[in-house]
Amino acid sequence: MATALPPDAAPVPLIHRRSFRDFATQGVYVAITALILAYVYVSLDLREFGFAFLNDPAAFNVANQWVIDVDGVTNSRITMYLVGVWSSIRAIMVAIALSTIVGVVVGVARLSNNWLIARLAMLFVEIFRNTPLLVQVVLVYSVFLVGLPQIQNVIMIGDVAFLSQRGLALPSPVPNSGLWGAPDWIAGIWVLALLISAAAAMRVRAQRQELERETGQPHNPNRRAFVVFAAGAVVSYLVLGAPVSIDAPIISGTHYEEGIVINPEFAALVTGLTLYTGAFIAEIVRSGIQALPRGQTEAANAVGLSGYQRLTLIILPQALRQIIPSVTNQYLNVNKNSSLAYAVLYDDLFRVANIVQNKAGHALEMFFVIIVTYMVISFVLSAVMNFFNARVTVHEV
Amino acid sequence: MATGMPIQPPPGRIVLPPHRVRAGRPWSVKTREWIRRNLFPSRNGVLLTIVALGLVGALLAGAIWFVFIDADWRVITDNRWLLFAGQFPREDEWRLWVGMAFVFTLIGLTYGTWSSFGRKDHLFVGMAGAFVLFLMAHGGAALWSSLWFLAAVGMMYLSYAVTVRLPREASPQRTLQIRIVGGLLAAALPLALVILLAFGGGELRRLDGFVLNLVLAPVGIAGGLVIAIPLALGRASSMKAISWTCTTYIEVVRGAPLLGWLFVALFILDDVMPGALIVRAMVVMAVFTGAYMAESIRGALQALPRGQYEAAHAVGLSRLQSLRLIILPQALRISIPPIVGQAIAIWKDTTLVTVILPLRELKGNADSAIAQFEFTPFRIEVYVFVALVFWAVAFMMSRISQRLERTLGVGER
Repeated sequence: MATALPPDAAPVPLIHRRSFRDFATQGVYVAITALILAYVYVSLDLREFGFAFLNDPAAFNVANQWVIDVDGVTNSRITMYLVGVWSSIRAIMVAIALSTIVGVVVGVARLSNNWLIARLAMLFVEIFRNTPLLVQVVLVYSVFLVGLPQIQNVIMIGDVAFLSQRGLALPSPVPNSGLWGAPDWIAGIWVLALLISAAAAMRVRAQRQELERETGQPHNPNRRAFVVFAAGAVVSYLVLGAPVSIDAPIISGTHYEEGIVINPEFAALVTGLTLYTGAFIAEIVRSGIQALPRGQTEAANAVGLSGYQRLTLIILPQALRQIIPSVTNQYLNVNKNSSLAYAVLYDDLFRVANIVQNKAGHALEMFFVIIVTYMVISFVLSAVMNFFNARVTVHEV
Repeated sequence: MATGMPIQPPPGRIVLPPHRVRAGRPWSVKTREWIRRNLFPSRNGVLLTIVALGLVGALLAGAIWFVFIDADWRVITDNRWLLFAGQFPREDEWRLWVGMAFVFTLIGLTYGTWSSFGRKDHLFVGMAGAFVLFLMAHGGAALWSSLWFLAAVGMMYLSYAVTVRLPREASPQRTLQIRIVGGLLAAALPLALVILLAFGGGELRRLDGFVLNLVLAPVGIAGGLVIAIPLALGRASSMKAISWTCTTYIEVVRGAPLLGWLFVALFILDDVMPGALIVRAMVVMAVFTGAYMAESIRGALQALPRGQYEAAHAVGLSRLQSLRLIILPQALRISIPPIVGQAIAIWKDTTLVTVILPLRELKGNADSAIAQFEFTPFRIEVYVFVALVFWAVAFMMSRISQRLERTLGVGER
């Protein structure tokens, strides 16, 4: 903004100089902000500020422990909180995965040539986008509570799975000594073998894809990869002497013992998050596809691709560039919305933090802990999504 | 897939020459044509259509079975005052009606000044009326409720009929009209609160049930806008101290969920802002929405071509003038869709005040309804009803936004 003044011009008075004005404005602004912050600081009761209370014994227990085993007597409050964080992360991951699937399917369906399909997809979006997530979660939970029997009248699904108000209990894999009477850690080796098979399968898939690209002939990369993986899994399972067995869940008294249990609180939260976020992702996918030039569809048709090939090879890969940034925002919303677990008493990080605050006070410290946790999860999510985004945009011609 | 085969004609709508569907053909032919085109666009589409038909049938049958056979709606009809206004005293019912008449009059004035009623608007008024009457009509007061409601609707159509006849060309009268209606709209919220509470009406605390949602959401939206505009300008500012603090504010507020901020309102803010909890909840909602709206407005500010800033500077406008006359009007117009998205979000988020605060809005009073012994089995009915109510308002908001975009020409030059 520097203006070249003629050398004989009168100097601009200080008060009219932009740099001085900016400086003065910021000075006044900083002073007012400092006053407000000082007022907040003075009015908060900070005499007992400190995080030491987090190390005291919890004196409460949390539900939904999974893999982790803690109790309220010996473990500290911060341990309980971390268990809550782990519960949150589980719900967030499952909800993100499911809502992405729902969103892509519904978003593509909205653009279907088939009038009925397109209308059904629109109905889905309009219903779940325009109702409060809280009500959706509570409604799903109510359906579970009303629809499912008490554990005394549990529904048996072929003797291997149970369904009741306590949730769905599925058979779980358990390490055992197997055919050769080997120690339990053999099961770990089998898991390792599975990973190696998966890596080999990915490699075969990449090779086949390369071959397809070079020759233009179909080489079935997905089918080949699956065969490689399945063969590796089965052969290693037999060689290691069936080190893993599947055990059906057991009911003892009023709760499940063993087995993978999906409890109704978790299911309600994840279902609500999936439907709500799925509706938003569907709209993002739709507008991402619509933003592509029509020529892309026509060109795909012209070279004779099938509808599915057109979608997966031409349309979606290009639309991803526009879709990913908006979808990242939705994932961050899933992270924050997972706090609605409170409404169905699923012990996520927010609910555990509330319990700690009820027991010990220190609301300000607990809020710091909460906001930092959410920010860290958000940061990790957006870092992962930025990585994907970079990979997608690299291929731009 | 297509190796060795002749290239197929592209499926879908493009195949059909336009003359195939002609006006003047018998409707049976047109219907058949429509069905063929939209339900069976390709050969693989047949299976899809059959599946979808099955799905539609199942959904419809399920809905009909639930609404007319399975559900017991007495939990709604017996608790309608609880759901609608909760603790709001019955003898002050007239305040709700007068407030409603005021809002309806404003709607009539707004439509009469800038837009016009279409067929769908009349339909909507009818449906909203039926809903409100259902909620309010109770026993012997049904007649009075109906009269009150008719009076409110009458006010709306009267104010509409008066204003819609006035000429719309620019003139001193038109300017005056716009100023009056605009001023009323700007003052609508305080005026409505005065009607609800002033002169012996009591405290804010009495706002309850659906009435609380109806108060919280506009407060959050209006307060959010008031906060968002300076925030967005501040974040885009070249003055470092201002842009840094605004960025920090926005990122910190967006870092925690609304529930977390309501936690702050309940446990922390009572030292900083003594007073009614409901006021603190309102402040938190405005502060929270403001941060999100500021981001939308900032996006719009960045989307404005640089030439706009330069042109304003070139014609010698001061910074304040160029903001007020050139930049903000365009930026706000561009950011209407995301701002309405935020408004719908905050409308849905008004339900969150019941989760940890001792405030009871519609969802909270739905919880109270099923807490009564005789209504505990009817959880699903109550929550379906609550979802329907929120859906109706949110859907209406999104439709109004689309209309606003069309009227103001968003995305056009």
